[in-house]
Amino acid sequence: MSYVDAGYAAALGTMVVYAVTLVVRRRRWERALKMSEPAAEPAAEPDGAPVRGEPS
Amino acid sequence: MTEQVTAPRRPRWLDVVGILGIVALGCTVWLGLWITPPDVVQGNLARLLYVHPAVATVALYWAGGVAAGGSLLYLWPRTRSLFWDRLAASAVEVGAVFSALTLVTGSLWGRPVWGVWWTWDARLTSTALLLLLEIGYLALRRVPAELDVRAKRCAVAALLVAVDVPIVHFSVDWWNTLHQGGTILDPGFDLHVHGIMLWTMGLSFVAFTLVFVWLLGVRYQVEVLQDAVGDQELDVSLSERWSEDADLVSVTGGPAPYGSGGAA
Repeated sequence: MSYVDAGYAAALGTMVVYAVTLVVRRRRWERALKMSEPAAEPAAEPDGAPVRGEPS
Repeated sequence: MTEQVTAPRRPRWLDVVGILGIVALGCTVWLGLWITPPDVVQGNLARLLYVHPAVATVALYWAGGVAAGGSLLYLWPRTRSLFWDRLAASAVEVGAVFSALTLVTGSLWGRPVWGVWWTWDARLTSTALLLLLEIGYLALRRVPAELDVRAKRCAVAALLVAVDVPIVHFSVDWWNTLHQGGTILDPGFDLHVHGIMLWTMGLSFVAFTLVFVWLLGVRYQVEVLQDAVGDQELDVSLSERWSEDADLVSVTGGPAPYGSGGAA
């Protein structure tokens, strides 16, 4: 592999890997945000913690 | 001061910018590797100049400019908004990626042309310092604090990072360096590059700028989402576990024992 090929591979490879990482991170946090919304509701229940294992 | 954080919308223009960036980057690679002629002096190594200067420009001016501008606008009481803080933080992270890439592509060009992978040249050293400062900023941002406190301290840190930007820019003028001066223009604004090589180089600047804007936009969305989830991270982890248990219930037909950890 020449220096030129290595340079292009490094630049394009880094762009692709970083872009994919960002999209995955965004998806993860979007899912986390969705999970946090129903999680707030059981906390407001008068009897305290929600029952684990109970389907929502 | 606190702001209500909500999930960001995905703007359509960002998708358009991303697609345009991919197309422009593809055209740059095609022109740079197969269409443009080899340079009279550098031969095929000149093809690296369709990548390195554009990447360095994004790292130094676009990312550095957005980070410094965003931080200044956050610190200015009239324009204070977490939007500027998040934009600056996003620019620093994307800028760090481009700074690292600047050093790597420059090194790959320097080895055959200068005969060394690295030298303590003023331009190279100040660029490496920029990367270290950006990493420091990102480390500081991970220190737990209220959003406003974090934003203030990060804005100050970003301005310290920005001090290095003019040093990198003028390093080739202030010191006697191995790195050449202007790649495209000299101080008298005389062009060094012509014809299809100039067009390809221009396209590379457009391509990497579009890619930068897309990365910045997505990174900004991640930043907003992180803040939106924020302190609820533990609750989210617990509810993820509960939903896993709920799935088990629907499979086994009965509630999982409390504290069983979801063992099936």
